[in-house]
Amino acid sequence: MQQLKSGEVNLGTSIMAVQFNGGVVIGADSRTTTGSYIANRVTDKLTHIHDRIYCCRSGSAADTQAVADIVHYYCQMFSQQFGEPPSIKAAAELFQKLCYDNKDQLLAGIIVAGWDKDVGPSVYNIPVGGGLFRQPWAIGGSGSTYVYGYCDATYRENWGRDETVDFVKNTLSLAMSRDGSSGGVIRMCVITEGGVERMFIPGNELPKFWEGKEVLAGFDNLTKKAVVEPEPMAVE
Amino acid sequence: MANASFYQSAGFDFSNDVRNQFLQDKGLPLPKATSTGTTIVGCLFKDGIVLGADTRATEGDIVADKNCEKIHYITDNIRCCGAGTAADTEFTTALISSNMELHALSTGRKPRVVTAMTMLKQMLFRYQGHIGAALVLGGVDSTGAHLFTIHPHGSTDKLPYVTMGSGSLAAMAVFESEWRPNMEKNDALRLVTAAISAGIFNDLGSGSNVDACVITATHTEMLRNFVKPNERAVKERNYKFRRGTTAWKMENIRSLVVDETVTLIAPPVGGDAMDTT
Amino acid sequence: MSIMEINGGSVIAMVGKECVAIACDLRLGNQALTIATNFEKIFPVTDRLYLGLPGLATDVATLRERFRFRVNMYTIKEEREITPETFARLVSSTLYEKRFGPYFVEPVIAGLSPVPSASGKPEKWEPFIAATDLIGCLNFAKDFVVAGTSSDKLFGVAEGLWEPDLEWEDLFETISQTLMNAVDRDAFSGWGGIVHIITPDKVITRTLKARMD
Repeated sequence: MQQLKSGEVNLGTSIMAVQFNGGVVIGADSRTTTGSYIANRVTDKLTHIHDRIYCCRSGSAADTQAVADIVHYYCQMFSQQFGEPPSIKAAAELFQKLCYDNKDQLLAGIIVAGWDKDVGPSVYNIPVGGGLFRQPWAIGGSGSTYVYGYCDATYRENWGRDETVDFVKNTLSLAMSRDGSSGGVIRMCVITEGGVERMFIPGNELPKFWEGKEVLAGFDNLTKKAVVEPEPMAVE
Repeated sequence: MANASFYQSAGFDFSNDVRNQFLQDKGLPLPKATSTGTTIVGCLFKDGIVLGADTRATEGDIVADKNCEKIHYITDNIRCCGAGTAADTEFTTALISSNMELHALSTGRKPRVVTAMTMLKQMLFRYQGHIGAALVLGGVDSTGAHLFTIHPHGSTDKLPYVTMGSGSLAAMAVFESEWRPNMEKNDALRLVTAAISAGIFNDLGSGSNVDACVITATHTEMLRNFVKPNERAVKERNYKFRRGTTAWKMENIRSLVVDETVTLIAPPVGGDAMDTT
Repeated sequence: MSIMEINGGSVIAMVGKECVAIACDLRLGNQALTIATNFEKIFPVTDRLYLGLPGLATDVATLRERFRFRVNMYTIKEEREITPETFARLVSSTLYEKRFGPYFVEPVIAGLSPVPSASGKPEKWEPFIAATDLIGCLNFAKDFVVAGTSSDKLFGVAEGLWEPDLEWEDLFETISQTLMNAVDRDAFSGWGGIVHIITPDKVITRTLKARMD
C-alpha cells in the first residue's frame, strides 16, 4: 500500500452508504484538497457506475477516478452483452480485483452500493488494500474515524427511507465538523428499484449539534458584574 | 506500411537513464527545466467559455520568457491552458490535439470536450504524475459548454469557474467574490482579466501580459496579449557601442552570393546548331 | 555544482536588422580545471542557420552528430533545405524524446528564415532565434536568447544593451560586449569567444580578443 504522492489531489473525505428495506442511501461531503488548499469545494464523490450502482470514492482523486472509469466501462460492456444490468456484487468484485491487484500503486477506499433484482439493496466496502466486505452500513474516508461510535450507537435494522436519509445526513455532518479535510456540502443519493434520487444539503443548512459553550461565566467590564449567561464560544 | 519514423521507435527513450542516475548519485542536481509558474483560469458564461493565462515562463528564479503562450490549441472549438513543466504542457496538448483530429476524422463527428478530457486524464494517469502538466480544458461542443481542470496525476474536476498554477489562489479569490451564473461575454472577459491580473501582480511565478480566449458555439476568438499592463518603458538613450569597440583577432567571411558567369558558345558559322526535327 | 557546470560554457543569440548574431565562449573545463580554450559550441546547420549547444561536452558532441544526421535525412527526404522554424521543432522533439533521461544541453538556434516570394526564390530573409531548455521547451524570443552557465549574467547584460534594428556591424559590438562582460563574471565560461553574424549574403565569423583567466 502506499502514501499519497506529493502534490497529489486528495479526497480527504467523509463517505457513507446505508442499506434499508427498499434500497440504499449513499452520501458524501464535497471537499477535495491539495495539501491545505481546497481544489474543489463542491466535488461529487458519488460516482455513477451503472443505472442502479453507485460508488463513494475516498483516497487519491486520480486513482479512484481511474478505477471507477474502468469499472463503469466493464459494467456497460456487461449490460450490452447480457441484456441485463450487472449485480452489485459483480461490480464490487471488479472494484476489489482492481484495488487488490494494484494495491502497491493505488490509494483508494471505495464503497459500492446499489440495488439489483436478485438481492435487493446491498452495500460493499472496499477499504485501502483491496478487501471486500458486505455490510449493512459502511463509512469511509478520513472523517469516518470520528463517527464510528455514533454509527454503532445509532444504527437500527429495518429503518425506512427517511430515517436512513437522516442517519446519513447527521453522521456526515458530525464527521465534517470534526475532520479538517472534510467539509463543504452533503451530497446524497437514494437508490431504489424505482430509480436514483439525488439530494443536496448546502453548507449552511447542515444539521447542527452542540457546538460548545464557555465553561466559565464571563465578567462584563462595563457593568463590573459577572455575566450569568455566558456567551457561546466567547473569546476571553 | 512504413513507420512514421523507421529508425526510432515511438515513445520516450530511457537510454540516458543509467548515466544520468550515476551523475545524480554523485550529488549533481538536474538542471532546472522551464516551468510555467503560471496563473491560468477558465470560466463559464452565458454563451460559452472564457479561458485566460498570464505569459511568464520561469527557470528557477529567472524569467525565461516574458511573453510565452499558455493557451494551447486542441481543436477549433476546444482550447487548453497549461501550467507546470512547460515542455510537458506543450507536448501533451500537442499530442492530444493530434489524436483529437484523427478521432474526428475517423468518427466523422465534431470533437467533444469530454473526449479530450478523457484522453488527457488517461495519459497523465498512466505516467503517474511524472508528466508535470496541470491543465485547464475548456470548449463548446454539441452537448454544450464544458470546463475541466486536470491535475498532473490524472484527476479531473468539472466546475463553472476554475484556476490553476501558482497564482491560482489569487485568481480564485477574484472568482469566488465576483463570478455570477449567466454572465454576459464582456463581463466574463473582464472577470477573467481581473483574475489573471490578480495572479500577475500578487504571484511571483506569474507576470507580463494577459492572454484570453473566448469560445462560443459558433466562434472561437483567441485574444493574444489582450491586456499588456507591464510594457517596458522606452529607453530615453541607448548603450550603442561605437563600431570598432570590440577587439577581435581573426575574421572569416563566407560569401553566400553565388557568382555565375554565363559564357555563350556561338554555333559554328553555317553549321546546324542541333537537329530538332 | 550542477551537471551544466562540469564542462561550463555559454551561448547567446541576438536579433538585428535583417541579420542575427550568435556567440559563444571557448572554454572546456573539468569542473574548476580548464582543459581547452578552443572548444566551439556553435555549429553550422545550413548556410544561414547555426546551432549553439552549451552544456555537458559529451552530449554536445553526441547531439551535434545526431542533429547532423537528422538534418541530412530531412534534406534527402524532402529535397529542400530545412528552415529555422522546422529545425527548432526538430531540436525540441529530439530532446523531449529523452524527457525522462535528458541530454544536458540548452540549445540556442539562430538563423535567417526565407520569406516566400512570387518568384519562388527568396528575396527577403527574416531573423529567427529560439532556445530550448534541456527537455525541449521552445522559447521563441523577438530580441535575444541566452543559455549556459552564465545565462543569468547574459540575461542581465543583454537586457540592458540590446536594442531593436541594429545593423550587423552594431549588432557585432552589442553581442560581443554582452558575451564578454557576462562571462568575465562567470568562473565556468570565458577563455575567448567567437561570434557569427548571419546576414542575407554573408556569414561573418570573428574570434574575439578576450580575457584568458
